[in-house]
Amino acid sequence: MARMKFLCDAERCIECNGCVTACKQEHEVPWGVNRRRVVTLNDGLPGEKSISVACMHCSDAPCMAVCPVDCFYKTSEGVVLHDKDLCIGCGYCFYACPFGAPQFPQDGAFGMRGKMDKCTFCAGGPEVDHSAAEFQKYGRNRLSEGKLPACAEMCSTKALLGGDGDVVADIYRNRVLKRGKGAEVWGWGTAYGKPEKAPTPPAGAKS
Amino acid sequence: MQAVLKQWLVAATCALFVVLSFPAVAADTSSAQEQAARQQVQPGNNAPMWRDVRSGNNPYQTTQVRGVETEVLMLPAGETWRQLRNGPITIYGGWLIVAVMIIIGAYYSLKGPVKLHEKPTGRKLLRFGAWDRMVHWSAAISFVLLAVTGIVILFGKHILLPVFGYSLFSWLATASKFIHNFVGPVFAFCTILMFLTFVKDNLLKRHDLQWFAKGGGLLTGEHVPSGRFNAGEKAWFWVGVTLLGVVVSVTGFVLNFPNFEQGRELMQQMNVIHAIAAIVFMTLSLGHIYMGTLGVEGAYESMRTGYVDEVWAKEHHEYWYREVVAGHKGGGGTASPAVASSMKEGWRA
Repeated sequence: MARMKFLCDAERCIECNGCVTACKQEHEVPWGVNRRRVVTLNDGLPGEKSISVACMHCSDAPCMAVCPVDCFYKTSEGVVLHDKDLCIGCGYCFYACPFGAPQFPQDGAFGMRGKMDKCTFCAGGPEVDHSAAEFQKYGRNRLSEGKLPACAEMCSTKALLGGDGDVVADIYRNRVLKRGKGAEVWGWGTAYGKPEKAPTPPAGAKS
Repeated sequence: MQAVLKQWLVAATCALFVVLSFPAVAADTSSAQEQAARQQVQPGNNAPMWRDVRSGNNPYQTTQVRGVETEVLMLPAGETWRQLRNGPITIYGGWLIVAVMIIIGAYYSLKGPVKLHEKPTGRKLLRFGAWDRMVHWSAAISFVLLAVTGIVILFGKHILLPVFGYSLFSWLATASKFIHNFVGPVFAFCTILMFLTFVKDNLLKRHDLQWFAKGGGLLTGEHVPSGRFNAGEKAWFWVGVTLLGVVVSVTGFVLNFPNFEQGRELMQQMNVIHAIAAIVFMTLSLGHIYMGTLGVEGAYESMRTGYVDEVWAKEHHEYWYREVVAGHKGGGGTASPAVASSMKEGWRA
């Protein structure tokens, strides 16, 4: 089975924020929650570059390791998902994540956190595929329809690639060979550098 | 464990090196300069820039997405926090609590409770007035709520989740989070009241050194005279209630109110301090709770009703007993030795 990965080609990203918009529109995410964002590096300096970043679905996901209720699970395709019915909104995944992926809608006074929301690699959640509950909590489940994440499909320069890690790496390798520069695969060391943790069934299913 | 520790030493050494070698601002400009210089000799080699991005403190990073730290592309400090929390804090902290419980249990089964040597006379002395008891129990109840909910949040995944299952444990953890977040400020307030109420009689005296030297007679059974509070109680007051109370309160406030837009690194550091301080606080509290309930005959009644028997006072707090009898002072500022019947009215005293 394919191992799903994101890759953002910094030589191609033009900071159009099309991926951010595509994500928001596809999943109808609430105001204040940004599953994906574009960060510009050395803004205004020579060598300016942009990177689109969201949950990278890490091999050894820190969010999964620190969650006090163990609400995360990993699909057989390496996608890191979580069960919002179990999430208590403690914010620990947000402390641990190197990419700033977990988002918390404010729920109550004093900035109290609601249930965590993050990129699902367009793979929905533990609810029944394409159910109303799944869409409401996690957004569209494109993977089960045989489609790739909306952000990557929408990318106008094909800077953002999302899909089978081997295919993505091949495309990138060819690009680097042709253009002769820009070989840095940003974030892959952090996200996929550690040994892959075995897939786990949805947390709720274990009880 | 060894590997984690080693990683830690390496990370700490690297962090120290980075901190010592580049002041923050100088690092930003020098890395930009380094990148420019690298482009001259090796076009296309962006290593200095990427190194900068990985360190998480590049000032020229921007984003159009609003929010706290959205312009930070990568924050490696989270990994440090994960290793600390999931490693030493959970493992050593957890076993520390278990070990202290075992030690206290063993002590109790070997030595049993400290009993009075003489027969109680029935004459009661006021040890804790209504205000003293109200402050004590407010702090005590909020402390226990925080301790139990904190244990659920840190250790529940390992000790309760396998028993309860996911749905029930999630419900319990949600309740724990709410209780912890709302009772926390109450406890901080109680800590201040505790300090103000009991500081006067907890000032260290010369005879406290003697108490420490003899270990309070805990192992020998020897009688060591003390004032209203013995040196052990004073240690609990200063190290536990005051020092650890302030530490967990301050760090707790930083974690409890993310609406002030504090960064993740600060919250990670506060969480580590909060967890360590809370675990030490809990282990000390086990000693205090043991001495106040099972460990010493009559100790619980003193805080429950406010009154102690004359013999109890003489055997446990001899200097205080003499002062009260001499009419200088008593608990809660009143000085009169009370009669037995007033024990029932102790609540109103």
